[in-house]
Amino acid sequence: MKTITFNQKKTSQIALEFDELIPDEVYNWEKADFEKYMVPIGNSRFPLTDYFDIEVDGSAEAPEEVKMILNGDYGRVKYIGTKMGAGEIIVNGPVDLHCGSQMKGGSILVNGDAESYAGREMEGGSLTIMGNTREFCGCSYIGDWRGMNGGTITIHGNAGKQLGECLSGGSIYVKGDCDILAGIHMTKGFIQIDGDVTRWPGGQMKNGDIVINGELGRLLEGFVQEDIVENPEIDGKDFSGKYIKYTGDIALNGKGRLWLDAEKNRHLLY
Amino acid sequence: MEYVLKNGIVYDPANKVAGEKKDVMFKDGKIVDSVSADAKVLDVTDKIVMPAGIDPHAHVAGPKLVVGRIYRPEDSRKGVTHKTDVTRSESGFSIPSCPSTGYRYSRMGYGTVVEAAVPPLEAKHTHEEINSIPNLDIVPLSLFGNNWFVLQYAKQNQIEDLAAFVAAWLKIAKCYGVKIVNPCGSEAWGWGMNVHGLDDPAPYWDVTGREVVTALAKANEMLGMPHSVHVHPNDLGHPGNYPTTVSTMDALKDIEKNSTVRGQTMHLTHAQFHAYGGTSWRDADSGADHIADYVNKNDHITIDVGQVTLDETTTMTADAPMEFDLYKLSGLKWANKDVELETAAGIVPVIYSGKAPVNSLQWAIGLELFLKVNDPWKVCLTTDHPNAGPFIRYPRIISWLMSNERRQEMMDNREVHPWSHRRTSLASLEREYDFNEIATITRAGPAKIYGFQDRGALTPGYNADIAVFDINPNDIDPSRNPEAIEKGFSTAMYTIKDGEILVKDGDIVKVVKSQTLWTNVKGMEEQEKAVMERVMPDFTRYYTVKFENYQVHDKYLPNPIVTEVQAGK
Repeated sequence: MKTITFNQKKTSQIALEFDELIPDEVYNWEKADFEKYMVPIGNSRFPLTDYFDIEVDGSAEAPEEVKMILNGDYGRVKYIGTKMGAGEIIVNGPVDLHCGSQMKGGSILVNGDAESYAGREMEGGSLTIMGNTREFCGCSYIGDWRGMNGGTITIHGNAGKQLGECLSGGSIYVKGDCDILAGIHMTKGFIQIDGDVTRWPGGQMKNGDIVINGELGRLLEGFVQEDIVENPEIDGKDFSGKYIKYTGDIALNGKGRLWLDAEKNRHLLY
Repeated sequence: MEYVLKNGIVYDPANKVAGEKKDVMFKDGKIVDSVSADAKVLDVTDKIVMPAGIDPHAHVAGPKLVVGRIYRPEDSRKGVTHKTDVTRSESGFSIPSCPSTGYRYSRMGYGTVVEAAVPPLEAKHTHEEINSIPNLDIVPLSLFGNNWFVLQYAKQNQIEDLAAFVAAWLKIAKCYGVKIVNPCGSEAWGWGMNVHGLDDPAPYWDVTGREVVTALAKANEMLGMPHSVHVHPNDLGHPGNYPTTVSTMDALKDIEKNSTVRGQTMHLTHAQFHAYGGTSWRDADSGADHIADYVNKNDHITIDVGQVTLDETTTMTADAPMEFDLYKLSGLKWANKDVELETAAGIVPVIYSGKAPVNSLQWAIGLELFLKVNDPWKVCLTTDHPNAGPFIRYPRIISWLMSNERRQEMMDNREVHPWSHRRTSLASLEREYDFNEIATITRAGPAKIYGFQDRGALTPGYNADIAVFDINPNDIDPSRNPEAIEKGFSTAMYTIKDGEILVKDGDIVKVVKSQTLWTNVKGMEEQEKAVMERVMPDFTRYYTVKFENYQVHDKYLPNPIVTEVQAGK
């Protein structure tokens, strides 16, 4: 097992890019390799050691045997864990854009907030954010119609707009509240939001499940109320209590399922 | 500077040189017969030497490329490279950035590319974009098939006035030739409609595609243009469309040719998209036999294929109603554009998959056309970039054309759906192209079709536009080594443009500014003036721009190559 620890020395106004610093790439690096590594910042590269003290303990034969611990403020460090296939990354602080994007395996734990595009196009592994995350978590790349299709994202705080946009597989759990258009364009997969949702979850969704355990502000017209189900099983998971089941978005002949906690969403019953 | 390309194996179909070991010499940017003893020697022993490639139909510059790039950022993130000491960074796959377009063609040994659809209203922008594509000479064709003034002249059969209008508008847009896209159909799209077949009139115009195509072809010949009319017929992409295509070709059969530099009076573009049988996608099959048979029997027609490459790509065409149909079929995103009195456009991403029956059928029909047109001078290699696939796949298509074994393997091991052999005759076609035929469909043929007198051949006095490939034709069986053929044609050992070495061993070593070819018609100045006076009231009334802001001034073409023709001669 190898533990690689980054201790931040200073921050940068222009974001650093960490997509080359994933367990798959650095599992056999020694301290000297990190010391000579030049990290991309804007259109240039600078010594990584200008920004971090790095400690390397133990050895690893494969990415699975690597734990990277990033201490400090990574609010201006993009692409942490991008395309990682194995291993573990723990960030003790906030992270910038695209954390865990295109991730295929392994795990990332963020003990702080995550900026937008966390878990974009994720294919596998787990991404856990202990704080809040902003827009487009678990979404597609800008303009693309293929979003996250595997793995699990868990957000212990609140999520921003368009959570799970174009979701086609995998699961997203939000313990807090969520902003508009969660699951827009989703074709498959599972989203569970335990807090309140402002408006319009599931816009233009074609399939998949969205569960809202909090209060929903406003529902799109493309969802048809089907039934009230007690203790439903949704996507292989058991839920207790009464849920209002909707299907939609009928604007696109969608067959997605939207489940709302019946007690908290009486205002939507008809 | 003088150079000798020493001991190469030369394929120069225009000069009937087919695989001869000989030296090619050039000096001061031109091919020459001899050089002095001081000439620099480039040893290309047993390597293939050809004229630089000419792409006779692609979409590389203009507003729809920009719209495509804006609405497909997911395409732009592919193919990203860092800048080098010579090149800028690259990005994009099916709609690469302007610099990437120039570098990638250059790496494949190409020197000239035709931008096949320039709306005159957007010509200024197109020329600005051409200026940011390096290492290529670019040949813009102007769209005329749905222009209101053209529809009016065609309806009244005023051919001389139409010719004067075309001559004037080519000067205004600084374009090389006449392009016709879905005649009357793009105008109908302004009303949310399309036309079907050659004799379906444009709404409110009472003029048909047949009348428009015929009138423009007559006008084109009256002007003695270096290129024939370049026609994208009606009903593109619709099952059962081959009769429309044959009718369109036949409509121009009796047009009298007025050019000594080309053989055809009509160039049918992306023929693959116009060669479908059946009545719907359920029973669609190949109409390639009918198209190829017509081309084989008639000398007034040349074609390029528009070969499907089985990639995810971006379709973009002035045939806006077709793009709407495609959008409804694919369910993916769609961009639509109206160009005032001239044309329209649509853009839709498409994933051509070997698993999909229809895409496999399209793939097979394209190859059928290549293999069934007997004379390689009548058919050109294109993918209608980016519509049927990106131009960087040309080497792969060459490998398919040179290897029946590879084609059969793709059908046998289900790299393509069984529709490819059940609904076409591809499996029975054993023909394999040789290197000379490849040089013909990628170089000499397109040069002749466009009436170029300075490129497409290694004739003394011609531009020193040369490609050298690291392939020894005496040491390779293309039929059994398709991968080696694809690799060899993907990266040129040398690409030489106007005597300057731009690519060496597959790397860009020099970047030069693009040049733009356009046609200046002489001899109709009075008629042009009269026509301008006649159309100006309508221009002022209907266009949203003033004429002063419409025309392309000389400063937009910093490196023009002007072909001057004398109308009527």
